[in-house]
Amino acid sequence: MASPGILPGTCLGDLEWDRGSELWFAQGIPGFENERRMVPVEIPAQRPLVYLQSAETPGLCFLALPVTTIQADFEVRLTADDFQALELDPSIDPVPGLDILCLALLGPSESGIRTNLAAPVIISLHTMRGHQLTPMAGPLYWHLGEGRAWERSCL
Amino acid sequence: MFVVRRRVGERILIADDIEIEIVEISKTRVKLGVRAPREVPVMRAETVPVAAENRAASAWASSRIAAAPAQLMKLLQNLQDNSAQTVAYVPDQ
Repeated sequence: MASPGILPGTCLGDLEWDRGSELWFAQGIPGFENERRMVPVEIPAQRPLVYLQSAETPGLCFLALPVTTIQADFEVRLTADDFQALELDPSIDPVPGLDILCLALLGPSESGIRTNLAAPVIISLHTMRGHQLTPMAGPLYWHLGEGRAWERSCL
Repeated sequence: MFVVRRRVGERILIADDIEIEIVEISKTRVKLGVRAPREVPVMRAETVPVAAENRAASAWASSRIAAAPAQLMKLLQNLQDNSAQTVAYVPDQ
């Protein structure tokens, strides 16, 4: 039986996780190309928020949301390279929630939170591989201001 | 700009330790393989702005979680309110 992963001093405190829940990003995450092991952490009281914590660097953490909580009719399109990075069978059409999870990384904007839905993080539930999509046609920003709903944004 | 014609399997070298190999050529695309030292970032050009966004997102997330839990709770409340509205919405039949 694999020993649990343990990482002290993370943003979430000392973190212990089952190795089976660890994600492998073969290419890292853009901006953090050497960060290949990540752990998704969901705190029931804080749903739908997902923490994506590096399993190697205690200070590296992302806040994320399932993309459909931002854009209900979001459709993911994977390229051959994406299938390869996720080690998914290219002959299947992966179903979000069943085969893959699509997470939007949250970042700051001038007056709230912003996310780029052209670059979601995709997680294969079959292979536990993770991969961030490359926006081929520019960013697709959504913005959440204080007390308002998510809306499309140019910046 | 260095311009050169290459066939599948042929390589280009940059300095002593970066190697680009032509893996596959199709009608509209070329598949490249890049070998480079671990400390040399290799990425698609389109990924550069995403890398900047990710660095900002990570710094922002870490500061929200570690230094400003009250702000995180406010954010969470906002997200949950927003999510609840989305999930609870059922159109009239």
